Formats: sequence, structure tokens, C-alpha cells
Amino acid sequence: MTRKVFLYLLMSVILLSNVEIKAQNSIEKKLNIIVFGAHPDDCDNKIGGTAALFAEMGHHVKFVSVTNGDAGHFEKGGGALAKIRRAEANLAAKRLGIDAYTVLDNHDAELFPTLDVRHQIIREIRNWNADVVITHRPVDYHPDHRYTGVLVQDAAYLVIVPNVTPDTPPLEKNPVFLYLQDHFQKPYSFKPDIAVDITQSFNKKMDALDAHKSQFYEWLPWTSGKLSMVPKEIDKRREFLISIWSRSISPKVRKSLNKWYGNERGQAVKHAESFEICEYGKQPTDEEILKLFPMLNSKR
Amino acid sequence: MKRIIIVLLLLSTGVFTNAQNRQNKPLKIIAIGAHPDDCDAKFGGTAALFAKMGHKVKFVSLTNGDAGHQSEGGGALGKRRRAEAQRAGEILGITYDVLDNHDAELIPTLQVRHQVIRKIREWDADIVLGLRPNDYHPDHRNAGVAVQDAAYLVIVPNVTPDTPPLKKNPVFLYMRDRFQKPYPFSKDIAVIIDDVVDQKIEALAAHDSQMFEWGPWTNGMKESEIPKGDDERLAWLKKRYASQKNWNKSDTDAIKKWYPNLDPANVNHVEFFEICEYGKQPSEEEIKQMFPMLGKK
Repeated sequence: MTRKVFLYLLMSVILLSNVEIKAQNSIEKKLNIIVFGAHPDDCDNKIGGTAALFAEMGHHVKFVSVTNGDAGHFEKGGGALAKIRRAEANLAAKRLGIDAYTVLDNHDAELFPTLDVRHQIIREIRNWNADVVITHRPVDYHPDHRYTGVLVQDAAYLVIVPNVTPDTPPLEKNPVFLYLQDHFQKPYSFKPDIAVDITQSFNKKMDALDAHKSQFYEWLPWTSGKLSMVPKEIDKRREFLISIWSRSISPKVRKSLNKWYGNERGQAVKHAESFEICEYGKQPTDEEILKLFPMLNSKR
Repeated sequence: MKRIIIVLLLLSTGVFTNAQNRQNKPLKIIAIGAHPDDCDAKFGGTAALFAKMGHKVKFVSLTNGDAGHQSEGGGALGKRRRAEAQRAGEILGITYDVLDNHDAELIPTLQVRHQVIRKIREWDADIVLGLRPNDYHPDHRNAGVAVQDAAYLVIVPNVTPDTPPLKKNPVFLYMRDRFQKPYPFSKDIAVIIDDVVDQKIEALAAHDSQMFEWGPWTNGMKESEIPKGDDERLAWLKKRYASQKNWNKSDTDAIKKWYPNLDPANVNHVEFFEICEYGKQPSEEEIKQMFPMLGKK
């Protein structure tokens, strides 16, 4: 009898602890987010703040630059520039706290939506076991941006097809695909379906941009004729960065912030990043979006 | 006087023959999809109606479908799917060509564009149907681009000069999809397919590997949920592909436009088509001539 009671107790302890472990797991299941930009610094600029928030919550974020950025300078170039930019990307990842920043070795300014690049992207998404995939719209200003958008769109659905790139096991379900914000109006303007308050992580985002020295203090000012405006003093550079790269919040983005955070907080947001849902991946409900973007305040 | 009579006779027979020709000459329709089964799903009913009226319909699959299965693949799957397409073609009373481009790898290259141009010219098409370049599968989008790119070039003699050009640009139409960006599908033409819906379902069922294996697998369905018997399978497929619709306003508007004497509430199955801007732009009268089933149920 005592043995029976003992066994019963033992069994229930084992069962209970199991239940507990399972519940833990489902609560603590971490999200896998992968972002594709055309160049090292694109992801940082468009989703750096949100990525830092994900990372702070323990979720796994990976940035991928589809080209190595070897054309993005006025006096440096080729492999030497690519090496600088890969190092800058790694430093930016460290500052954002994200898991990885992969720079693929396709040439800058020469990206085409070919099958081999599509397959590189399918492998990246599968290997990251992504819940969310984010990229440029295929209407952004740089052909590399547009073709990155096409390539990632073309990976949607095919990531679940076992006969496609069979060297890498397929995902069990099509992830949610999102677009990064841009200001282009044709054939239709960007729709901020999701807007994230990055006021709290804005500094980290600027730290990440600061890591791409060859871009934010050299190449980009040069392309807009502002090279002479770049401060020599390191401590004045932050102000310079913020003056150029803090995006103002459009009425449409504000409306989306109000939707996701409630009017009070929505109106108070100083810095935001927003995303549009792509039609080719899983189509999430609002409830599912709150699970995929746990930094959104569900009190609406 | 005698001469005048002869001339008049000649003229009148000439006129007569022309009219005859126009009345009896069957229409030539070619539908171009990315995979064996695409055209069947989106145009199978209308194709069966055309065929019944004696018009000539051809389906073309630009890929051989050799990636569309969870456990089969390559040439073996391509062979299976080509046979399925032949069977579907027999059921609909049409011809079915499956080109040998790889599935999930279709790119709108010049070579594929030329394949499309030759197919359209060889069929001497009055109507060409394609997919919109914003459907969900990259092969669908690229097939849409390849067909759009053939519009106009089919009349240019210096393009693929091994195949004589058409005398006139055909009407190009899009088959329906649900995508909203950059703009939603426009229901320019509506064809009621109630009379042939079972024939369409039977044609779809001929694509065994897709309807009862790969398609359900991609939707996370278990094998045990798929019926085994032939009749059960047809009923199951009909439920999935041709369930009775609750027509919305744009549906009923399109149905009423082409079937003014019918109450859309009594209509169960419809296929819709959008006119592509790159081919001949048909008038309403011309559409009625090209879709002689319109207005009649």
C-alpha cells in the first residue's frame, strides 16, 4: 500500500513537472526573425530599432545583406571595401545585440533576381527556421533594393517545397513576409500595417548606423554633396547622424501606432519603424501579429 | 449584261463564302499556365464550353511540374504529370502541351518568351489566356510576364522568324487570382460554367498527384482525410474547388452584365477573366463573338 502511494506520488510529481516544463517552453518559445537588405546597412537603417527590441526580449534576429557592398564608396572599392563593410556590419550587429549579420558575396550594384541568388535566400530562411521574413518592397530607389524585394518574394511559398534546394530541409509552414518602409508612391504607396515604437531603442539604432562609418560619414554624405558637413569631432557626429537619419512620423504611421499602442502612447511616440504585410506569405491576424511583435502594446 | 450577271454572281458567292467562313470557322483559344493543372483550375469550365461548341482550345504548361510533390520529383514526376495533363485534356475535349522547363525555376528569359510566341502562332490564336504577374507562385508571376511579353511580338516577323507571325494581335486575357496589389483582379468577363462543372472537376481529378497528394500536403492535411473511392474523391474535390458561392457585388455586376436575363442568385459556378492592356482591346460586341456561350445558360 505504501509503495502504491509512493508510486502514485512519484508519478504525479513527474507528470506535474512535465506539464510545467511544457508550459515554460511554450511561453518562452523564442521568435526567429530574418531581415534581407541589399547592402550592409540597409537593415540597420530600416529596422535597427525594432531589431534591438526583439534582441532585448531574447528573440533571435539575423540581418542578411544580399550584396557585399563593394561598390558603395567614392574612393574605395572591390574586395577591400567589402572587407571594411563586413567588419562594419559585424560591429553594428554587436551594438544592436542581434545574433548574426551575414554579408553574402554578390557584387554591389549588380544584383539580379537569378535562380542561384533565390536559392541562397531560400537556404538562409530555412536555416534560420524563420517565423518572420522582412525585406525591401520591389519598388525602392536602388535596383539592388528592388531585386532583393523580388528575390525574397520569390522565396515565399518555395521555402516549404521539398524539391526546391533539397540540400536544405524545407520549413513546415510559410512564414509571415513583411516589407520595410519606403517613400515610393508607384504603383502604390507603402502601407504601415504594423508600426513599432522605437523611442527606447533609438540610441542603439544610431550606434548601429555609426558602425557603418564608410557609409554614414563618407559615401552617403558624398552622394548628396554634404561631405564637408560631416563633423571631424567624434562627439559631434551623433547629432549629425540624428539630424539626417531620424525619420519623421507620417500621419499614416501615427494612425498605425495608435492602433497598436492606444492613442495616448501612440501620440507620444518619438521614433517609429513600420512594416507592410506581403501577400505571398502567411497572412497573420491582429492576434498573431501581437504574438510575432511582442513589443507592441496590446492594450487598445 | 451577261458579264454583269457573272460579276454579280461572283460577288454574291464571294460575300456568301466570307459570311460562311466567319460563322463556321472555329475560334482558336490558347491558355498558358505555369504548371500542369493551372489552366484547368482557372479556365477548365469555359474551355469545356468552347470545346462543346466546336471551338479549338489548347492548354500549355510552361513547366513540367517536376517539383510539385512531397516525395516524388524530377523526370519521373514530370512524366507522371504529363500523363495526368493528357487525361485532363481528353476529359475537357482540348489539347494539352507540357513544356520541359523545370518547375519552381521558371524565369522570363528570351528562350521561354520564344517558346510562348511559337505556341501562340502555331495555334493561330484568337484569344490568349495567361496568369497575372502578381499571383502567389514565382512561376505564375514569371509565366504571366512571359505571356505579356509575347503580346504584340507575335505579329513581328523578325521575332522567331522560324514561325510565321500572326496577322493580328490576339485578345489577351488574365485568369483570376485573389491578390490585391498593386491592384485587384478586374472581373471584365464572366462565364457561367454550371453545365460543365462536373466535367471540370473530373479534369482536375485527373491531376491525381496534385489534387489528392501534393495540394493537401501543402495545406497540412493528413492522408487519412483524403477519400479513396473515385466518387468520394470527386465529391470531395467539388467541395474544395467549386463550392457554391455567395456572390459579392463585383461578382453579380459581372454576371448581370453578360447574362442580363439571369438572376445571379440562381448561378452556382462562374469563371472570371480580365482583359490585358497589351493585346487587341475588344469591344463588347467582339467579346460576345469570342465568347459565344455568353448570355446563354
